[in-house]
Amino acid sequence: MNTMKWLLRREFWEHKGGFFWTPLVVSAIMTVVLAVSLAAAVTMGYQKGVHINGADVGSLSEAMNPEQQAQFVTGLTHGYMGTGAPLFMVLGFVVFFFCLSSLFDERKDRSVLFWKSLPVSDAETVLSKVAIALVVAPVISVAFATITGVLSLLFICIAAAAAGLNIFGSVLTSGAVYLAPFQIAAIIPVYILWALPTVGWLMMVSAWAKTKPFLWAVGAPLLIGVLLLWFKALFGLELETDWYWRDIVARGLLSVAPGSWFGFFHPDPNMSSGPDNINAMALVSQSWRVLGSANIWIGAVVGSAMIFAAMRLRRWRDEG
Amino acid sequence: MSSVISARGLTKRYGKQVAVDNISFEIPAGRIIGLIGPNGSGKTTTLKAALGLIPFEGELKVLGLDPRTHRDELMEQVCFIADVAVLPRWIRVREVVDFVAGVHPKFDRTKAERYLANTKLKPSMKVKEMSKGMIVQLHLALVMAIDAKLLVLDEPTLGLDILYRKQFYQNLLEDYFDENKTIIVTTHQVEEIEHILSDLMFIREGRITLSASMDEISERFVEVMVPAENVAAAKALNPIDERQVFGKSVMLFDGVPRAQVAALGETRNVGIADLFVAKMKGTYA
Repeated sequence: MNTMKWLLRREFWEHKGGFFWTPLVVSAIMTVVLAVSLAAAVTMGYQKGVHINGADVGSLSEAMNPEQQAQFVTGLTHGYMGTGAPLFMVLGFVVFFFCLSSLFDERKDRSVLFWKSLPVSDAETVLSKVAIALVVAPVISVAFATITGVLSLLFICIAAAAAGLNIFGSVLTSGAVYLAPFQIAAIIPVYILWALPTVGWLMMVSAWAKTKPFLWAVGAPLLIGVLLLWFKALFGLELETDWYWRDIVARGLLSVAPGSWFGFFHPDPNMSSGPDNINAMALVSQSWRVLGSANIWIGAVVGSAMIFAAMRLRRWRDEG
Repeated sequence: MSSVISARGLTKRYGKQVAVDNISFEIPAGRIIGLIGPNGSGKTTTLKAALGLIPFEGELKVLGLDPRTHRDELMEQVCFIADVAVLPRWIRVREVVDFVAGVHPKFDRTKAERYLANTKLKPSMKVKEMSKGMIVQLHLALVMAIDAKLLVLDEPTLGLDILYRKQFYQNLLEDYFDENKTIIVTTHQVEEIEHILSDLMFIREGRITLSASMDEISERFVEVMVPAENVAAAKALNPIDERQVFGKSVMLFDGVPRAQVAALGETRNVGIADLFVAKMKGTYA
């Protein structure tokens, strides 16, 4: 266990840029953009007065009836984590490129010979890389999303107050505001299982490719797809190729993008009806619904098998 | 356990190419063995097999363990410097010391730090900011702080200047080596390690052509400066090598009694480099 702790640290030292600085910068940009826009809106409000439907109203509290105010608070407390959404898009890219280089770069610069001179098994090493990609990186992203979300919420409340609408009390007393970060975190298990085939594929190619892992990992499946289409056209075959693009190419390469499961399982409209369909709870239940499908479990098994293959490859690949 | 490494019929093929050809040898504990051979002779392949980095045929035991199946246990007892500059370029001195201390049960942190204090390396320095010589100093500091039974050095000083090279071997000999440790070293700078070796192994085209202790070598091989009038008599004793120096013939004899050749001219012990050249004649022809 101690070894695993050090292996994780090691990965973090090497990839601090992707796993820490990138989300930090994205968070900072999101927060600053929001703060500046709110400040501008509030200043404009002061200068020109608040206009709603052309009518000049004294303040937001007058402009909105109590029902609208309640709705505003509900939307805010359920949806404020949404400001962290760009973090999860970035997470997909970071995880993708991390996995692709995870077992290739150490062979390229031959540092694998140093790592292999230590009493650490290949299985432990590969697992530490999987854990960084699928556990540590998402947890860091959720943490940054929470910070960004809380700051945004605070700024919006301040801006609302400046515009004459005090919602601090109702926001702070709502349960949703405290639950939202945990609800987002509750999606991580779904993400781990769903992303396994892509992580496994990329790491396997990373451990196997002598050169250009990107070309092998991405180019090879695309090329096969194009060949399939070409054969189909050439011989006029009644060949069904949609499954290949969907279940092999898209599923195999894009599953590290958080939420990509919604491309396969459209959100159940009955579960997110109502005005607040960006609410975090709906997102969790919609995501957990995917666990009931064979798709995610087959993917997880295939992904684990490819991770196992990556371990074997790292064990026996000769570095010349 | 008597042998640190024992090989029987060790063979490694790359496709049709035979890199190591059915070799057998024993390496006892407490020795410093020089594994010397031309480029592509199978030195590195042999070491890689012993370190469990590649599959092979035949029987090979390192500290009584099969490196194919017990590699992870083995690496607690075995250290290696595979080449210069295999330390990851992004890592800092502080980080690599922390990491090795964290994962290696036999690592003595104070020892490593004491050694590093005698160098220009700073804890915050990254490997990519270091010269080749400094990287080797760092690697050596790590390796010397590990109480291993076997240390494998594959061209550890390649590309270093002579100051670093001398210091490297001096440190190894003074602060590291003792009767419980065994060191295997390959290098092309044979003259430089000649005086530290206890045993010598020549390897050529995947076969061991000579395996002997340094004492046996100085008994067996003798070099004689033969003046012109004795050349014919000397040639009758079948020298394994002959070269001309200042108009005199220098001949190398294998297994001819010293008293017998002493009559032909001035005798001296052969250097490893000359012995190597004599033994490897025709390798690239």
